[in-house]
Amino acid sequence: MKITNTSILIFILTSVIAFTSKADVKFSGYGSVVAGQTLDDGERFTADFFEVGQYENELTFNAETMIALQLTSNLADNLMITGQLTTKGSDEFKPEFSWYYLTYFAENDWTVMLGRRNIPMYYYSEFYDVGFAYPWMRPPSNLYWWQIVQFNGLHVSKDFSLGDLSNNVTVYYGNENSEDNKEMGFYAEQGFYDTAENKAIGVNENWRDITGVSWNISGDFFDVRIAYMEHQLDRDFVMDNDTIRVGLRTSQKFYGVGGSLDFNPFTVLFEYNYVRRYDTNQEEWPTFLLSLVYTWNEFQPYIVYSKADQYRVFGKEYEEHTLISYGIRYDFANSASLKVQFDNFNDQGHEPSGWDFHGSSDTLSFGIDFVF
Amino acid sequence: MKYSILTVFLSVAIPSFCSFSALAEVAVVVHPSNQVNLTKNDIKKIYLGKMKNFADGKVILPIDLTEGSDTRSIFNTELLGKSSSQIKAYWSKLIFTGKGTPPINVKSESEVINTVSTNPSTIGYVDASKVTDKVKVIIKF
Repeated sequence: MKITNTSILIFILTSVIAFTSKADVKFSGYGSVVAGQTLDDGERFTADFFEVGQYENELTFNAETMIALQLTSNLADNLMITGQLTTKGSDEFKPEFSWYYLTYFAENDWTVMLGRRNIPMYYYSEFYDVGFAYPWMRPPSNLYWWQIVQFNGLHVSKDFSLGDLSNNVTVYYGNENSEDNKEMGFYAEQGFYDTAENKAIGVNENWRDITGVSWNISGDFFDVRIAYMEHQLDRDFVMDNDTIRVGLRTSQKFYGVGGSLDFNPFTVLFEYNYVRRYDTNQEEWPTFLLSLVYTWNEFQPYIVYSKADQYRVFGKEYEEHTLISYGIRYDFANSASLKVQFDNFNDQGHEPSGWDFHGSSDTLSFGIDFVF
Repeated sequence: MKYSILTVFLSVAIPSFCSFSALAEVAVVVHPSNQVNLTKNDIKKIYLGKMKNFADGKVILPIDLTEGSDTRSIFNTELLGKSSSQIKAYWSKLIFTGKGTPPINVKSESEVINTVSTNPSTIGYVDASKVTDKVKVIIKF
């Protein structure tokens, strides 16, 4: 079965029409207004890889500022429809229905979701954009660097208790075909996919048969999530002579563990991910983050360290970077927080072969996250 | 000058450091017919959306007081161990990923008593001095 945008939209629309009760629509939302810049000329810091939200040496609000309006409506007692209309500075504030899905609440704490959602890949993947939900300005961007973050799919999940521990297990399946992918387009601009004769002017990235499972366990003072995901990867380069050049026909596997430990007033946040691509390069990407947050009334000073590596069968001289960020969150209202963060991005990629293309940078950003 | 800075500091610091429990006692209440036995930890799980059913299988409907209520602040800090904004941050993760719905908000403690006394699925909390015989107290702190 192929789950596509169109089939999901048709299914959702038919369900809405089938249940044309005078269902109430509830509105809520979240957003971030963030400004920042790198501290030196010629530096560039990618704060959002997927949207190519970047800071340079000139103050901008466009890299991360965004707002999302969520609409939910109960179509029946146990059937709900949810949509999220988002608009982002990195996308010239074009409004887009980025999430739309149906939720069916079955007996015995089973839940089924069908539609467009973020892929529950890493710990923060599903709520990466909800800045109010975590202490930092953003989850370390050098880990959250994948070019596909959303998909059309089916999720089945079950909540249950094991002794005093609350558990949730979710399995999912879906697809995402991203023509002219924005992040891959940025890499194409760097000339990575050019041939001797032609320039690559775009990249079509197709993730098929995205299949995964995640298990969340939470107790009194901790929360841990273990995840696995795999998918088929088809990548094609659009060349400037109007031809398509086949890039990849391969598969990838993701393994991850992440969570938080609460030692009031300290909180430790951690995450380790390992990604393996089964192409001729046999690529591997081990990444991790470790963060310490101190909570003092409405203030949360924090530090977060993250590291991303890339290995191939031929060695380890590829992409490699660390990011160390310091900042403070101040909840000046129940629904709004002020954040200031300093990021030191250290690019240790292999210079002779151009794998240090991100470049090291120091960046200062400040902003407000809110929910309504 | 020194004196005034100290005064300002203390007037800010003392209320922020002092526990609210000195101010009031909170009572967690259920319908009089509800034979449930809940620990503080169970109540915490209910209000964080991690426990959804009573022992007899009935769905639990937790009732919260609206933001700004002193009793809610005491309940959040004393029982849930988090400030109001931290609770909100916790729920915002769940709300915007479709993983949970926060407790229903009601405006006053008399409304909590009314709702709980008429619906056996609900659980609520009020300032202990506002408890009436229409509800059953299961825990006070």
